[in-house]
Amino acid sequence: MEYAPLPQPEEIPEREKEDAMGAYLMMFAAVAVGLPLPVINLIAAIIYYFINRKKSRFVHFHSLQSLLSQIPTTLINWALVIWAAAIFFREDWKLTPEFWGYAIFAGACTLLYFIVSIIAAYKARQGKMYYFLLFGKIAYESAFKIHPPGVGDASPVNRPPF
Amino acid sequence: MRKGVFRDLSILLLLAAFLLGGGYFLARKLWSSGLDLSYQVSYHQEEQLGNLLSELVLKQYSVVEGTAADTALQQIKDRLTHVLARSPYHYRFVILRSGEINAFTLPGGNIYVFSGLIKFADSPEELAAVLAHEIGHAEKRHVVSKMEKQLSLSVLLSTLSGGDPGTVTQILTQMLGSSFDREQETQADQYGLGLLEKAKISPRNLARFFERLNDKDLDYNESLELLMSHPHNNKRIEQVRRYKTASDFHPVPLNISWERVKKSLSITDAEN
Repeated sequence: MEYAPLPQPEEIPEREKEDAMGAYLMMFAAVAVGLPLPVINLIAAIIYYFINRKKSRFVHFHSLQSLLSQIPTTLINWALVIWAAAIFFREDWKLTPEFWGYAIFAGACTLLYFIVSIIAAYKARQGKMYYFLLFGKIAYESAFKIHPPGVGDASPVNRPPF
Repeated sequence: MRKGVFRDLSILLLLAAFLLGGGYFLARKLWSSGLDLSYQVSYHQEEQLGNLLSELVLKQYSVVEGTAADTALQQIKDRLTHVLARSPYHYRFVILRSGEINAFTLPGGNIYVFSGLIKFADSPEELAAVLAHEIGHAEKRHVVSKMEKQLSLSVLLSTLSGGDPGTVTQILTQMLGSSFDREQETQADQYGLGLLEKAKISPRNLARFFERLNDKDLDYNESLELLMSHPHNNKRIEQVRRYKTASDFHPVPLNISWERVKKSLSITDAEN
């Protein structure tokens, strides 16, 4: 399996470094403007990824890593929201140590995610790669893998005149 | 690459299990160390909150005092609270001027009765039955439980928006606007029935009150929401009927002229 060479910080244009950093900061922007649902930050990340992935492999990697890494935190927070809603609306559901334990877990995951996102944003701004566990590998595979010629290539639309 | 993915996945799952276990352990530790997260509101805090919320209620409604109705209410309160064993509350019963057939309990043993309910009640014993039910909500700490629900809503809102979970006014609105759940209503009914028996007032008065509400064909609407929280009044009436008093139980009537009480309310209504 062949991979494209990794760009070094001095080879990456400033604009691309900012775009890569932006992938991680999107979530903070979503929280800062008070978007009401945890899923909104995920939608923002998806849109950001599809807009920026063609810009360069470096931006593609960071925006995909940011997007993928938000999925577990979003799901964990949604489960908390549903549990809290059930306690509020259902008569037989009470606040239990299990609920508070899960709330602490969700809070810790979110905090951890915030910290690694800030580090990743900082590294991306410097033009460096920063790999999250699991998501870093998947994003690298997607952004830097070179597909063998002919595989998945559609016949070209624009051709020379002779 | 695949090998690395499985290794990473295992590390992440282990980390998640560690955080989840740690969170649960911490919550259990806090729970068992006296910081009972379901009952974190102490009686003292409850009283303070009750005073605060009472101030807000009194800004919204005018109080009926110095009338025969007020005297009767205090007399009923004395009869009921006299037989309460070691209550942490200093009960305060207040009549609010409003046509609503309603009564509600705020934290700290603050019980409010609308003048409409007193006018609707057929006897002082019926009013006593409703008040015993409200005391049941206070003694069983249902008000705190409602605050607990409010707390879960705060977690919900904080997670959803990261914003401020709410103000005191919102808590009040929540308390006045939402009802106790079915189980709590049943508990309050049961407590009230026992209290009535101890106070030598026939528990049947509670059923009578509910029956008259049904007979009047009053819809289950917002005016009855707090008192008749769920549309299962017939079941509740049935439960009251099934309540067995001791074989030597003899009710002692309340020495209150009910006509005079109702008249005093009509006079104050006319004055206002």
